Amino acid sequence: MSQTIKLEVVTPERPVFSAEVAEVQFPTASRGYYGILPGHTPLMTAVGDGLLYYVQDGQKHWLTVFGGFAEVGPDRVTILARESETVDMIDLERVEADRQHALKLLKEAQTEHDLASAQAALDASLIRLQAAGHPAGHGF
Amino acid sequence: MAGLQDIRRRIRSVKNTQQVTKAMKMISAVKLRKSQERLVALRPYAGKMMDVVHRVVGRIKGDSEIQPGPAAQAFLTPREEKRIRVVLVASDKGLCGGFNANVLKAASAFAAETQAEIVHLDVVGKRAAEWARKRKLSATGEYLNTPLAGFQRVVTEISEGAAAQYHAGEIDALYVIYNYFNSPVAQTPTVFKVFPMELDRRAESREAAEVPHLLEPDPNAVLETLLPRFVETELLRNLLESSASEHGARMAAMDKASNNAGEMIAKLTLTMNKIRQASITNQIIEIVSGANA
Repeated sequence: MSQTIKLEVVTPERPVFSAEVAEVQFPTASRGYYGILPGHTPLMTAVGDGLLYYVQDGQKHWLTVFGGFAEVGPDRVTILARESETVDMIDLERVEADRQHALKLLKEAQTEHDLASAQAALDASLIRLQAAGHPAGHGF
Repeated sequence: MAGLQDIRRRIRSVKNTQQVTKAMKMISAVKLRKSQERLVALRPYAGKMMDVVHRVVGRIKGDSEIQPGPAAQAFLTPREEKRIRVVLVASDKGLCGGFNANVLKAASAFAAETQAEIVHLDVVGKRAAEWARKRKLSATGEYLNTPLAGFQRVVTEISEGAAAQYHAGEIDALYVIYNYFNSPVAQTPTVFKVFPMELDRRAESREAAEVPHLLEPDPNAVLETLLPRFVETELLRNLLESSASEHGARMAAMDKASNNAGEMIAKLTLTMNKIRQASITNQIIEIVSGANA
């Protein structure tokens, strides 16, 4: 059995990440975080919003994922994300602006729907900030 | 001499037109490239999505213990098509050759042929909206002047809606009528059935050999979240193909127009020179005959 897993993260806009890694953990929509090591039993599940990490050369790296689908095989993890970014793709200033904007919307929200969408925007910006705050190698 | 002035004026006006068509051609070329890039970027995602759907469906089919839910029926046991939802994709602007005419003709043919009742019509692009108005079809959803970046929102709206409608039994199928992008200069108007879909058997037998996947939290929940995503991907592909086709068609049309303008200018210049020559010859004859007298 191979000692690595091929992790692939693709979104409708672009392939985000593809490499051999030692370990992956991703958020699911209904069952919390799944940690995957080589030789995992085949599995399919919906992906939630949050942070994904993978371990490569003993270093931990982070990606954001927002919704989508995961397919796990013994030697591969394929994430079909609605949106996803590597830490490099995150523009901190823009995320901070998004966060402020979401906070403002949250205060002004009148309807249930407004409130939910503002909350979702806030959560997304927080996830991005969190990802940007995790430089590679930390967080063990 | 009046003829000469007129011709000069015409040449000037044709030249102006040629400049416009040349510029439009250039703009279309850039937009075509952008649409094509998006299309290429979507390909790995769409391919993987197809794989996953095959796997899940193959898995549910292969296991008699799983009771297929309504979402699974979309793939396994298509209902008789009585009520359908149709998405018609054309362009917002004209001047793109037969692009709109062809796809609208295909739409008319489809509307005349189909046995099912079209209960929900979405139109993308002004030309499609006009077509629906002319034929007294009420378009339930109108998406006009959508930029490339706005496609995602449009397809999410349509696919979530369509999946919910299928679930509720309000529609039995979803069709898209759009221009398939063969190459920058060739488009084919296409009627595409997004779901229910026939999965090819080859993929299923390939999957049967592998260890069956766990579907978590349960197979039907997986399919229920998967179906709208899958529809979304297919729709996005169709919209991008249509957009690429539109710009390709406009580029070809404008190229032709620029060439025609060039030919016209050449002809007019020739006529102008002939008239000029004739008038010079006339003047010389007048002078010579005057001198002789």
